[in-house]
Amino acid sequence: MSEFSRLLLVARTDFSYFFRTKWLMAVLISLSLSDMLVTALVMGRMISPEYFSFLVPGIVTVGLFTAATDTGRRIWLALREGVVQYYMTLPIRTSGLVVAYIISGGLGGVVYSSALLIIASFAVHPHNILNAILLLPFMFVLATGIAGLAAFFASISRRGEIYWVYAQALQVTLVTISTIFYSAQTISRYLPGPIATIADYNPLSLAATALRDSVFSGELLNTTLLSNLLATSLPLAALGALAYWVILRTLRLRGKP
Amino acid sequence: MFAVETLSLSKRYGKTDALRELNFTVDEGEIMVILGPNGSGKTTLLMILCTILKPTSGTAKVMGIDVVEEGTKVREVMGIAFQEARGFWRHKPSSILRFHASMFDIDSMKRQDLIEQTMKDLELWESRDKKFMHLSGGQAKRLETAKVLVQRPKLAIFDEPTSQVDLRGKRKIWDKIRELRDQGSTVIVATNEVREAEYLADRVTILHQGHLVVRDSIPKLKDAIAGGDVVEVGFEGPVTDNLVAELKGLGGALALSPEGNELRAKVSRAEDWVPKMTSASYNLGAKISSIKITEPSLDDVFIHFTGKALIDQQ
Repeated sequence: MSEFSRLLLVARTDFSYFFRTKWLMAVLISLSLSDMLVTALVMGRMISPEYFSFLVPGIVTVGLFTAATDTGRRIWLALREGVVQYYMTLPIRTSGLVVAYIISGGLGGVVYSSALLIIASFAVHPHNILNAILLLPFMFVLATGIAGLAAFFASISRRGEIYWVYAQALQVTLVTISTIFYSAQTISRYLPGPIATIADYNPLSLAATALRDSVFSGELLNTTLLSNLLATSLPLAALGALAYWVILRTLRLRGKP
Repeated sequence: MFAVETLSLSKRYGKTDALRELNFTVDEGEIMVILGPNGSGKTTLLMILCTILKPTSGTAKVMGIDVVEEGTKVREVMGIAFQEARGFWRHKPSSILRFHASMFDIDSMKRQDLIEQTMKDLELWESRDKKFMHLSGGQAKRLETAKVLVQRPKLAIFDEPTSQVDLRGKRKIWDKIRELRDQGSTVIVATNEVREAEYLADRVTILHQGHLVVRDSIPKLKDAIAGGDVVEVGFEGPVTDNLVAELKGLGGALALSPEGNELRAKVSRAEDWVPKMTSASYNLGAKISSIKITEPSLDDVFIHFTGKALIDQQ
Protein backbone atom coordinates (compact mmCIF):
# COMPACT_ATOMS: atom_id res chain seq x y z
CA MET A 1 0.00 0.00 0.00
CA SER A 2 1.41 3.41 -0.95
CA GLU A 3 1.67 6.22 1.56
CA PHE A 4 -1.06 8.08 -0.31
CA SER A 5 -3.40 5.08 0.07
CA ARG A 6 -2.62 5.01 3.78
CA LEU A 7 -3.38 8.72 3.99
CA LEU A 8 -6.76 8.11 2.35
CA LEU A 9 -7.44 5.22 4.74
CA VAL A 10 -6.80 7.47 7.74
CA ALA A 11 -9.03 10.15 6.20
CA ARG A 12 -11.79 7.62 5.58
CA THR A 13 -11.57 6.29 9.14
CA ASP A 14 -11.77 9.77 10.61
CA PHE A 15 -14.58 10.69 8.22
CA SER A 16 -16.57 7.63 9.33
CA TYR A 17 -16.01 8.68 12.95
CA PHE A 18 -17.99 11.86 12.26
CA PHE A 19 -21.05 9.83 11.31
CA ARG A 20 -20.65 7.43 14.26
CA THR A 21 -21.54 10.16 16.74
CA LYS A 22 -25.25 9.60 16.11
CA TRP A 23 -26.56 11.86 18.87
CA LEU A 24 -24.41 14.72 17.65
CA MET A 25 -25.68 14.06 14.12
CA ALA A 26 -29.27 14.05 15.36
CA VAL A 27 -28.74 17.41 17.08
CA LEU A 28 -27.04 18.90 14.01
CA ILE A 29 -29.73 17.75 11.59
CA SER A 30 -32.58 18.82 13.86
CA LEU A 31 -31.01 22.26 14.31
CA SER A 32 -30.55 22.67 10.56
CA LEU A 33 -34.07 21.47 9.78
CA SER A 34 -35.65 23.59 12.50
CA ASP A 35 -33.83 26.61 11.04
CA MET A 36 -35.49 25.88 7.72
CA LEU A 37 -38.94 25.15 9.21
CA VAL A 38 -39.00 28.16 11.50
CA THR A 39 -37.95 30.29 8.60
CA ALA A 40 -40.58 28.73 6.36
CA LEU A 41 -43.42 29.09 8.85
CA VAL A 42 -42.55 32.31 10.63
CA MET A 43 -40.04 34.40 8.77
CA GLY A 44 -41.55 33.59 5.39
CA ARG A 45 -44.88 35.12 6.52
CA MET A 46 -43.33 37.97 8.50
CA ILE A 47 -40.91 39.13 5.84
CA SER A 48 -41.60 37.53 2.48
CA PRO A 49 -41.60 34.06 0.89
CA GLU A 50 -38.51 35.10 -1.06
CA TYR A 51 -36.59 35.39 2.18
CA PHE A 52 -36.99 31.64 2.64
CA SER A 53 -35.41 31.04 -0.77
CA PHE A 54 -32.65 33.43 0.21
CA LEU A 55 -32.03 31.73 3.53
CA VAL A 56 -32.00 28.06 2.48
CA PRO A 57 -28.57 28.23 0.73
CA GLY A 58 -27.31 30.03 3.83
CA ILE A 59 -28.48 27.22 6.08
CA VAL A 60 -26.82 24.67 3.78
CA THR A 61 -23.59 26.68 4.11
CA VAL A 62 -23.93 26.83 7.89
CA GLY A 63 -24.43 23.04 7.83
CA LEU A 64 -21.16 22.73 5.91
CA PHE A 65 -19.49 24.96 8.49
CA THR A 66 -20.82 22.93 11.43
CA ALA A 67 -19.82 19.58 9.93
CA ALA A 68 -16.34 20.79 8.97
CA THR A 69 -15.84 22.30 12.43
CA ASP A 70 -16.39 18.83 13.89
CA THR A 71 -12.86 18.04 12.65
CA GLY A 72 -11.58 20.09 15.57
CA ARG A 73 -13.62 18.06 18.04
CA ARG A 74 -12.27 14.84 16.55
CA ILE A 75 -8.69 16.12 16.66
CA TRP A 76 -9.15 17.13 20.29
CA LEU A 77 -10.65 13.72 21.09
CA ALA A 78 -7.83 11.95 19.25
CA LEU A 79 -5.33 13.86 21.35
CA ARG A 80 -7.23 13.02 24.56
CA GLU A 81 -7.89 9.36 23.70
CA GLY A 82 -4.31 8.80 22.60
CA VAL A 83 -5.34 7.85 19.07
CA VAL A 84 -2.90 10.45 17.77
CA GLN A 85 -0.01 8.56 19.37
CA TYR A 86 -1.31 5.41 17.71
CA TYR A 87 -1.47 7.19 14.35
CA MET A 88 2.11 8.32 14.90
CA THR A 89 3.24 4.68 14.93
CA LEU A 90 1.72 4.00 11.51
CA PRO A 91 3.85 4.08 8.36
CA ILE A 92 2.72 7.51 7.30
CA ARG A 93 4.48 10.87 7.58
CA THR A 94 3.32 13.52 10.03
CA SER A 95 2.38 15.76 7.12
CA GLY A 96 0.32 12.87 5.72
CA LEU A 97 -1.62 12.62 8.98
CA VAL A 98 -2.32 16.35 8.89
CA VAL A 99 -3.54 16.22 5.30
CA ALA A 100 -5.72 13.19 6.10
CA TYR A 101 -7.53 15.10 8.84
CA ILE A 102 -8.07 18.14 6.65
CA ILE A 103 -9.39 15.97 3.78
CA SER A 104 -11.69 14.19 6.20
CA GLY A 105 -13.02 17.55 7.44
CA GLY A 106 -13.62 18.59 3.84
CA LEU A 107 -15.50 15.38 3.10
CA GLY A 108 -17.61 15.70 6.26
CA GLY A 109 -18.61 19.25 5.31
CA VAL A 110 -19.49 18.38 1.72
CA VAL A 111 -21.43 15.20 2.51
CA TYR A 112 -23.42 16.82 5.31
CA SER A 113 -24.23 20.00 3.37
CA SER A 114 -25.12 17.98 0.27
CA ALA A 115 -27.64 16.02 2.34
CA LEU A 116 -29.13 19.31 3.55
CA LEU A 117 -29.20 20.59 -0.02
CA ILE A 118 -31.19 17.54 -1.11
CA ILE A 119 -33.66 18.05 1.76
CA ALA A 120 -33.89 21.78 0.96
CA SER A 121 -34.61 21.03 -2.70
CA PHE A 122 -38.01 19.66 -1.63
CA ALA A 123 -38.93 23.13 -0.34
CA VAL A 124 -37.09 25.36 -2.80
CA HIS A 125 -36.83 24.13 -6.35
CA PRO A 126 -33.21 24.12 -7.59
CA HIS A 127 -32.91 25.54 -11.10
CA ASN A 128 -29.60 24.00 -12.01
CA ILE A 129 -28.57 20.69 -10.44
CA LEU A 130 -25.49 20.44 -12.69
CA ASN A 131 -24.18 23.66 -11.16
CA ALA A 132 -24.69 22.14 -7.72
CA ILE A 133 -22.47 19.22 -8.77
CA LEU A 134 -19.88 21.58 -10.28
CA LEU A 135 -19.84 23.56 -7.04
CA LEU A 136 -18.98 20.48 -4.96
CA PRO A 137 -15.17 20.71 -5.37
CA PHE A 138 -15.32 24.39 -4.33
CA MET A 139 -17.47 23.52 -1.33
CA PHE A 140 -14.93 20.80 -0.50
CA VAL A 141 -12.11 23.37 -0.49
CA LEU A 142 -14.20 25.68 1.69
CA ALA A 143 -14.85 22.80 4.10
CA THR A 144 -11.10 22.01 4.26
CA GLY A 145 -10.53 25.68 5.13
CA ILE A 146 -13.08 25.53 7.95
CA ALA A 147 -11.63 22.18 9.06
CA GLY A 148 -8.23 23.87 9.09
CA LEU A 149 -9.51 26.63 11.36
CA ALA A 150 -11.08 24.02 13.63
CA ALA A 151 -7.81 22.07 13.67
CA PHE A 152 -6.02 25.27 14.65
CA PHE A 153 -8.36 25.88 17.60
CA ALA A 154 -8.23 22.22 18.67
CA SER A 155 -4.43 22.41 18.61
CA ILE A 156 -4.29 25.42 20.91
CA SER A 157 -7.03 24.22 23.31
CA ARG A 158 -5.81 22.48 26.43
CA ARG A 159 -9.33 21.54 27.50
CA GLY A 160 -12.37 20.38 25.55
CA GLU A 161 -14.62 23.20 26.74
CA ILE A 162 -12.05 25.76 25.60
CA TYR A 163 -12.26 24.29 22.13
CA TRP A 164 -16.06 24.68 22.19
CA VAL A 165 -15.67 28.33 23.22
CA TYR A 166 -13.34 28.96 20.27
CA ALA A 167 -15.63 27.08 17.87
CA GLN A 168 -18.72 29.01 19.02
CA ALA A 169 -16.89 32.33 18.83
CA LEU A 170 -15.76 31.45 15.32
CA GLN A 171 -19.29 30.53 14.27
CA VAL A 172 -20.83 33.70 15.72
CA THR A 173 -18.18 35.85 14.07
CA LEU A 174 -18.26 34.18 10.66
CA VAL A 175 -22.03 33.92 10.50
CA THR A 176 -22.70 37.43 11.82
CA ILE A 177 -20.23 39.19 9.54
CA SER A 178 -21.54 37.49 6.43
CA THR A 179 -24.29 37.59 3.86
CA ILE A 180 -25.68 34.24 4.95
CA PHE A 181 -28.82 35.56 6.61
CA TYR A 182 -28.96 39.07 5.17
CA SER A 183 -28.17 40.48 1.75
CA ALA A 184 -25.03 42.49 1.07
CA GLN A 185 -27.19 45.62 0.70
CA THR A 186 -28.71 45.17 4.16
CA ILE A 187 -25.27 44.59 5.69
CA SER A 188 -23.78 47.70 4.07
CA ARG A 189 -26.79 49.76 5.22
CA TYR A 190 -26.36 48.92 8.90
CA LEU A 191 -22.68 48.05 9.36
CA PRO A 192 -19.50 50.14 8.75
CA GLY A 193 -17.92 49.87 5.31
CA PRO A 194 -14.88 47.74 6.26
CA ILE A 195 -17.09 45.20 8.02
CA ALA A 196 -19.40 45.05 5.01
CA THR A 197 -16.35 44.35 2.83
CA ILE A 198 -15.23 41.58 5.19
CA ALA A 199 -18.77 40.16 5.04
CA ASP A 200 -18.57 40.16 1.23
CA TYR A 201 -15.28 38.26 1.21
CA ASN A 202 -16.16 35.92 4.05
CA PRO A 203 -15.84 32.47 2.44
CA LEU A 204 -19.20 31.43 3.92
CA SER A 205 -20.85 34.44 2.21
CA LEU A 206 -19.17 33.52 -1.07
CA ALA A 207 -20.40 29.92 -0.81
CA ALA A 208 -23.95 30.96 0.08
CA THR A 209 -24.01 33.45 -2.81
CA ALA A 210 -22.68 30.83 -5.23
CA LEU A 211 -25.43 28.41 -4.16
CA ARG A 212 -28.13 31.10 -4.41
CA ASP A 213 -27.08 32.38 -7.81
CA SER A 214 -25.93 29.21 -9.57
CA VAL A 215 -28.14 26.51 -8.10
CA PHE A 216 -31.37 28.16 -7.00
CA SER A 217 -31.52 31.10 -9.46
CA GLY A 218 -30.04 29.24 -12.42
CA GLU A 219 -27.36 31.81 -13.26
CA LEU A 220 -24.03 30.82 -14.77
CA LEU A 221 -21.19 29.96 -12.39
CA ASN A 222 -19.37 33.15 -11.43
CA THR A 223 -15.66 32.40 -11.86
CA THR A 224 -14.54 35.52 -9.96
CA LEU A 225 -16.68 34.52 -7.01
CA LEU A 226 -15.36 30.97 -7.12
CA SER A 227 -11.76 32.21 -7.35
CA ASN A 228 -12.37 34.38 -4.31
CA LEU A 229 -13.82 31.35 -2.52
CA LEU A 230 -10.65 29.37 -3.22
CA ALA A 231 -8.40 32.29 -2.33
CA THR A 232 -10.07 32.77 1.06
CA SER A 233 -10.43 29.08 1.94
CA LEU A 234 -7.01 27.74 1.07
CA PRO A 235 -5.06 29.94 3.54
CA LEU A 236 -7.38 28.75 6.33
CA ALA A 237 -6.68 25.11 5.41
CA ALA A 238 -2.96 25.87 5.38
CA LEU A 239 -3.15 27.62 8.78
CA GLY A 240 -4.95 24.63 10.34
CA ALA A 241 -2.56 22.15 8.75
CA LEU A 242 0.39 24.09 10.10
CA ALA A 243 -1.11 24.31 13.61
CA TYR A 244 -1.86 20.58 13.70
CA TRP A 245 1.60 19.78 12.34
CA VAL A 246 3.15 21.93 15.08
CA ILE A 247 1.14 20.14 17.77
CA LEU A 248 2.28 16.72 16.48
CA ARG A 249 5.86 17.95 16.41
CA THR A 250 5.49 19.22 19.98
CA LEU A 251 4.14 15.81 20.95
CA ARG A 252 7.29 14.20 19.53
CA LEU A 253 9.53 16.58 21.45
CA ARG A 254 7.75 16.89 24.78
CA GLY A 255 5.70 13.71 24.93
CA LYS A 256 2.50 15.70 25.36
CA PRO A 257 0.69 18.33 23.28
CA MET B 1 23.25 -6.25 12.72
CA PHE B 2 21.31 -5.63 15.89
CA ALA B 3 17.53 -5.46 15.76
CA VAL B 4 17.78 -2.43 18.02
CA GLU B 5 20.81 -0.34 18.81
CA THR B 6 21.03 2.90 20.77
CA LEU B 7 24.14 4.99 21.30
CA SER B 8 24.34 7.55 24.12
CA LEU B 9 20.58 7.96 23.90
CA SER B 10 19.20 10.66 26.19
CA LYS B 11 15.77 12.16 26.67
CA ARG B 12 15.05 15.13 28.87
CA TYR B 13 11.62 16.52 29.81
CA GLY B 14 12.25 20.02 31.13
CA LYS B 15 14.69 19.50 33.97
CA THR B 16 14.02 15.77 34.30
CA ASP B 17 16.31 13.24 32.64
CA ALA B 18 14.17 10.29 31.59
CA LEU B 19 17.03 8.52 29.78
CA ARG B 20 20.73 9.17 30.33
CA GLU B 21 23.36 8.20 27.76
CA LEU B 22 21.75 4.83 27.14
CA ASN B 23 23.72 2.26 25.15
CA PHE B 24 21.39 -0.63 24.49
CA THR B 25 21.17 -3.45 21.96
CA VAL B 26 18.71 -6.19 21.17
CA ASP B 27 19.67 -9.19 19.05
CA GLU B 28 17.45 -10.30 16.19
CA GLY B 29 14.96 -13.01 17.13
CA GLU B 30 15.19 -12.67 20.91
CA ILE B 31 12.75 -11.54 23.57
CA MET B 32 14.38 -8.71 25.48
CA VAL B 33 12.57 -7.82 28.67
CA ILE B 34 13.17 -4.33 30.02
CA LEU B 35 12.66 -4.45 33.74
CA GLY B 36 12.36 -1.40 35.90
CA PRO B 37 10.03 0.44 38.23
CA ASN B 38 7.70 3.19 37.06
CA GLY B 39 9.73 6.22 36.05
CA SER B 40 12.83 4.20 35.18
CA GLY B 41 12.68 5.28 31.53
CA LYS B 42 11.19 2.10 30.02
CA THR B 43 8.26 3.75 28.27
CA THR B 44 10.37 6.70 27.12
CA LEU B 45 12.81 4.29 25.48
CA LEU B 46 9.96 2.45 23.73
CA MET B 47 8.36 5.72 22.60
CA ILE B 48 11.66 6.75 21.01
CA LEU B 49 12.05 3.37 19.29
CA CYS B 50 8.56 3.60 17.82
CA THR B 51 9.28 7.21 16.68
CA ILE B 52 6.60 8.91 18.78
CA LEU B 53 9.27 10.72 20.78
CA LYS B 54 12.38 12.41 19.48
CA PRO B 55 15.51 11.87 21.59
CA THR B 56 17.24 14.90 23.10
CA SER B 57 20.60 13.49 22.02
CA GLY B 58 22.17 10.26 20.84
CA THR B 59 20.97 7.85 18.18
CA ALA B 60 18.61 4.91 17.97
CA LYS B 61 18.32 2.42 15.14
CA VAL B 62 15.68 -0.23 14.49
CA MET B 63 16.77 -2.93 12.02
CA GLY B 64 19.58 -0.58 11.06
CA ILE B 65 17.22 2.32 10.30
CA ASP B 66 17.63 5.60 12.17
CA VAL B 67 14.43 6.44 14.09
CA VAL B 68 14.83 10.20 13.65
CA GLU B 69 16.06 10.35 10.06
CA GLU B 70 13.78 7.67 8.59
CA GLY B 71 10.82 7.43 10.92
CA THR B 72 8.35 6.23 8.30
CA LYS B 73 10.62 3.32 7.31
CA VAL B 74 11.04 2.37 10.97
CA ARG B 75 7.27 2.34 11.40
CA GLU B 76 6.95 -0.08 8.49
CA VAL B 77 8.92 -2.76 10.36
CA MET B 78 7.76 -2.07 13.90
CA GLY B 79 4.57 -2.58 15.87
CA ILE B 80 3.76 -1.49 19.41
CA ALA B 81 1.14 -2.45 21.98
CA PHE B 82 0.85 0.59 24.25
CA GLN B 83 0.70 0.50 28.02
CA GLU B 84 -2.65 2.30 27.82
CA ALA B 85 -4.83 0.82 25.09
CA ARG B 86 -5.37 3.30 22.24
CA GLY B 87 -8.46 3.04 20.07
CA PHE B 88 -11.23 4.90 18.39
CA TRP B 89 -13.85 4.91 21.12
CA ARG B 90 -16.77 4.29 18.83
CA HIS B 91 -15.16 1.62 16.68
CA LYS B 92 -15.55 -2.11 17.21
CA PRO B 93 -12.52 -4.33 17.92
CA SER B 94 -12.83 -6.09 14.57
CA SER B 95 -12.85 -2.81 12.61
CA ILE B 96 -9.89 -1.51 14.66
CA LEU B 97 -7.94 -4.64 13.73
CA ARG B 98 -9.03 -4.43 10.09
CA PHE B 99 -7.80 -0.84 9.90
CA HIS B 100 -4.49 -1.79 11.49
CA ALA B 101 -4.02 -4.79 9.19
CA SER B 102 -4.77 -2.64 6.12
CA MET B 103 -2.23 -0.03 7.19
CA PHE B 104 0.44 -2.72 7.33
CA ASP B 105 -0.45 -4.42 4.04
CA ILE B 106 -1.63 -7.68 5.53
CA ASP B 107 -2.83 -9.80 2.61
CA SER B 108 -6.52 -9.00 2.17
CA MET B 109 -7.30 -12.69 1.44
CA LYS B 110 -5.83 -13.79 4.76
CA ARG B 111 -6.75 -10.70 6.76
CA GLN B 112 -10.19 -11.73 7.97
CA ASP B 113 -9.11 -15.24 9.00
CA LEU B 114 -6.07 -13.88 10.79
CA ILE B 115 -8.14 -11.32 12.68
CA GLU B 116 -10.77 -13.88 13.62
CA GLN B 117 -8.18 -16.40 14.81
CA THR B 118 -6.26 -13.79 16.83
CA MET B 119 -9.46 -12.54 18.46
CA LYS B 120 -10.42 -16.10 19.37
CA ASP B 121 -6.94 -16.83 20.72
CA LEU B 122 -7.13 -13.78 22.98
CA GLU B 123 -10.77 -14.42 23.93
CA LEU B 124 -11.99 -11.27 22.22
CA TRP B 125 -14.28 -12.89 19.70
CA GLU B 126 -17.32 -12.63 21.97
CA SER B 127 -16.71 -8.89 22.29
CA ARG B 128 -16.23 -8.26 18.57
CA ASP B 129 -19.42 -6.19 18.29
CA LYS B 130 -18.83 -4.08 21.39
CA LYS B 131 -17.56 -0.55 20.93
CA PHE B 132 -14.02 0.08 22.12
CA MET B 133 -15.28 2.40 24.85
CA HIS B 134 -17.41 -0.43 26.29
CA LEU B 135 -14.56 -2.93 26.55
CA SER B 136 -13.19 -3.74 30.00
CA GLY B 137 -9.62 -2.69 30.81
CA GLY B 138 -8.41 -6.25 30.25
CA GLN B 139 -10.25 -6.58 26.94
CA ALA B 140 -8.87 -3.28 25.67
CA LYS B 141 -5.40 -4.40 26.67
CA ARG B 142 -5.83 -7.72 24.82
CA LEU B 143 -7.03 -5.80 21.76
CA GLU B 144 -3.86 -3.71 21.96
CA THR B 145 -1.83 -6.94 21.92
CA ALA B 146 -3.96 -8.35 19.10
CA LYS B 147 -2.97 -5.44 16.84
CA VAL B 148 0.69 -6.45 17.03
CA LEU B 149 -0.08 -10.17 16.67
CA VAL B 150 -2.09 -9.53 13.50
CA GLN B 151 0.66 -7.26 12.15
CA ARG B 152 3.54 -9.69 12.89
CA PRO B 153 6.20 -6.97 12.62
CA LYS B 154 9.94 -7.53 12.48
CA LEU B 155 10.20 -5.69 15.80
CA ALA B 156 7.28 -6.12 18.19
CA ILE B 157 7.14 -3.91 21.26
CA PHE B 158 4.86 -4.59 24.22
CA ASP B 159 4.64 -2.04 27.02
CA GLU B 160 3.37 -3.82 30.16
CA PRO B 161 1.27 -6.20 28.03
CA THR B 162 -0.61 -7.89 30.84
CA SER B 163 -1.39 -5.11 33.29
CA GLN B 164 -5.15 -5.25 34.03
CA VAL B 165 -5.33 -8.77 32.52
CA ASP B 166 -6.42 -11.76 34.64
CA LEU B 167 -4.03 -14.65 35.31
CA ARG B 168 -5.43 -16.91 32.55
CA GLY B 169 -5.30 -14.04 30.08
CA LYS B 170 -1.73 -13.26 31.08
CA ARG B 171 -0.61 -16.80 30.26
CA LYS B 172 -2.32 -16.63 26.84
CA ILE B 173 -0.68 -13.31 25.99
CA TRP B 174 2.73 -14.57 27.11
CA ASP B 175 2.36 -17.70 24.97
CA LYS B 176 1.35 -15.62 21.94
CA ILE B 177 4.36 -13.33 22.46
CA ARG B 178 6.67 -16.33 22.54
CA GLU B 179 4.97 -17.68 19.41
CA LEU B 180 5.65 -14.35 17.72
CA ARG B 181 9.34 -14.70 18.58
CA ASP B 182 9.34 -18.29 17.27
CA GLN B 183 7.91 -17.00 13.97
CA GLY B 184 10.95 -14.73 13.58
CA SER B 185 10.01 -11.43 15.20
CA THR B 186 12.30 -9.66 17.61
CA VAL B 187 10.36 -8.77 20.73
CA ILE B 188 10.85 -6.12 23.40
CA VAL B 189 8.67 -6.32 26.50
CA ALA B 190 8.75 -3.59 29.12
CA THR B 191 7.43 -4.65 32.48
CA ASN B 192 7.74 -4.24 36.20
CA GLU B 193 6.24 -7.67 36.82
CA VAL B 194 8.86 -10.23 37.81
CA ARG B 195 6.76 -13.27 36.82
CA GLU B 196 6.23 -11.84 33.34
CA ALA B 197 9.94 -11.24 32.92
CA GLU B 198 10.83 -14.75 34.15
CA TYR B 199 8.32 -16.35 31.78
CA LEU B 200 9.24 -14.40 28.66
CA ALA B 201 12.82 -13.22 28.73
CA ASP B 202 15.67 -14.53 26.64
CA ARG B 203 17.57 -11.63 28.15
CA VAL B 204 16.72 -8.95 30.65
CA THR B 205 17.79 -5.31 30.73
CA ILE B 206 17.43 -3.55 34.05
CA LEU B 207 16.76 0.17 33.78
CA HIS B 208 16.95 2.39 36.82
CA GLN B 209 16.52 6.18 36.82
CA GLY B 210 17.20 6.35 33.09
CA HIS B 211 20.39 4.30 33.28
CA LEU B 212 21.04 0.81 31.95
CA VAL B 213 22.16 -1.04 35.05
CA VAL B 214 22.78 -4.50 33.65
CA ARG B 215 21.79 -6.69 30.68
CA ASP B 216 22.04 -10.48 30.52
CA SER B 217 20.11 -13.74 30.58
CA ILE B 218 18.17 -14.45 33.77
CA PRO B 219 20.37 -17.42 34.90
CA LYS B 220 23.52 -15.32 34.45
CA LEU B 221 22.00 -12.37 36.30
CA LYS B 222 21.07 -14.66 39.17
CA ASP B 223 24.49 -16.28 39.20
CA ALA B 224 26.05 -12.83 39.36
CA ILE B 225 24.67 -12.41 42.88
CA ALA B 226 27.37 -13.72 45.22
CA GLY B 227 25.67 -16.03 47.73
CA GLY B 228 22.35 -15.63 45.96
CA ASP B 229 21.48 -19.36 45.90
CA VAL B 230 20.34 -20.72 49.24
CA VAL B 231 20.89 -24.47 49.82
CA GLU B 232 19.17 -26.10 52.82
CA VAL B 233 20.55 -29.57 53.54
CA GLY B 234 18.94 -32.02 55.99
CA PHE B 235 21.15 -34.72 57.56
CA GLU B 236 20.16 -37.93 59.34
CA GLY B 237 22.36 -36.92 62.28
CA PRO B 238 23.59 -33.65 63.80
CA VAL B 239 25.87 -31.46 61.67
CA THR B 240 29.37 -31.79 63.11
CA ASP B 241 32.08 -29.11 63.30
CA ASN B 242 34.24 -31.42 61.25
CA LEU B 243 31.68 -31.47 58.43
CA VAL B 244 31.29 -27.68 58.52
CA ALA B 245 35.07 -27.22 58.34
CA GLU B 246 35.26 -29.66 55.42
CA LEU B 247 32.48 -27.80 53.57
CA LYS B 248 34.14 -24.46 54.21
CA GLY B 249 37.26 -25.88 52.61
CA LEU B 250 35.34 -26.59 49.40
CA GLY B 251 34.97 -22.89 48.67
CA GLY B 252 32.03 -21.36 46.83
CA ALA B 253 29.94 -20.88 49.98
CA LEU B 254 29.67 -17.41 51.43
CA ALA B 255 27.94 -18.50 54.63
CA LEU B 256 27.31 -21.82 56.35
CA SER B 257 24.79 -21.93 59.20
CA PRO B 258 24.46 -25.32 60.93
CA GLU B 259 21.50 -25.87 63.28
CA GLY B 260 20.77 -29.33 64.65
CA ASN B 261 20.40 -31.76 61.77
CA GLU B 262 20.22 -28.96 59.20
CA LEU B 263 22.71 -26.81 57.38
CA ARG B 264 21.90 -23.64 55.50
CA ALA B 265 24.43 -22.44 52.92
CA LYS B 266 24.53 -19.30 50.83
CA VAL B 267 26.37 -20.04 47.58
CA SER B 268 26.86 -18.30 44.26
CA ARG B 269 26.22 -21.33 42.03
CA ALA B 270 24.24 -24.09 43.70
CA GLU B 271 24.68 -26.36 40.66
CA ASP B 272 28.48 -26.37 41.25
CA TRP B 273 28.47 -26.49 45.05
CA VAL B 274 25.86 -29.19 45.74
CA PRO B 275 27.73 -32.10 44.01
CA LYS B 276 30.91 -31.18 45.89
CA MET B 277 28.99 -30.94 49.17
CA THR B 278 27.29 -34.34 48.74
CA SER B 279 30.62 -35.96 47.90
CA ALA B 280 32.34 -34.41 50.95
CA SER B 281 29.45 -35.42 53.22
CA TYR B 282 29.56 -38.99 51.91
CA ASN B 283 33.30 -39.20 52.56
CA LEU B 284 32.73 -38.08 56.17
CA GLY B 285 29.87 -40.54 56.62
CA ALA B 286 27.20 -37.84 57.01
CA LYS B 287 23.98 -39.13 55.43
CA ILE B 288 21.87 -36.54 53.63
CA SER B 289 18.09 -36.82 54.01
CA SER B 290 16.99 -33.76 51.99
CA ILE B 291 18.29 -30.92 49.83
CA LYS B 292 16.35 -27.78 49.02
CA ILE B 293 17.74 -25.17 46.65
CA THR B 294 16.26 -21.69 46.41
CA GLU B 295 17.38 -19.40 43.60
CA PRO B 296 17.23 -15.63 43.97
CA SER B 297 14.22 -13.98 42.37
CA LEU B 298 14.49 -11.25 39.77
CA ASP B 299 13.46 -8.89 42.56
CA ASP B 300 16.60 -10.01 44.43
CA VAL B 301 18.57 -9.39 41.24
CA PHE B 302 17.09 -5.90 41.01
CA ILE B 303 17.98 -5.17 44.65
CA HIS B 304 21.48 -6.49 44.09
CA PHE B 305 22.16 -4.23 41.12
CA THR B 306 20.29 -1.09 42.16
CA GLY B 307 20.27 -1.30 45.94
CA LYS B 308 16.50 -0.90 45.90
CA ALA B 309 13.54 -3.26 45.74
CA LEU B 310 11.57 -3.35 42.51
CA ILE B 311 8.24 -3.45 44.34
CA ASP B 312 9.09 -0.60 46.75
CA GLN B 313 9.86 1.55 43.74
CA GLN B 314 6.30 1.39 42.33
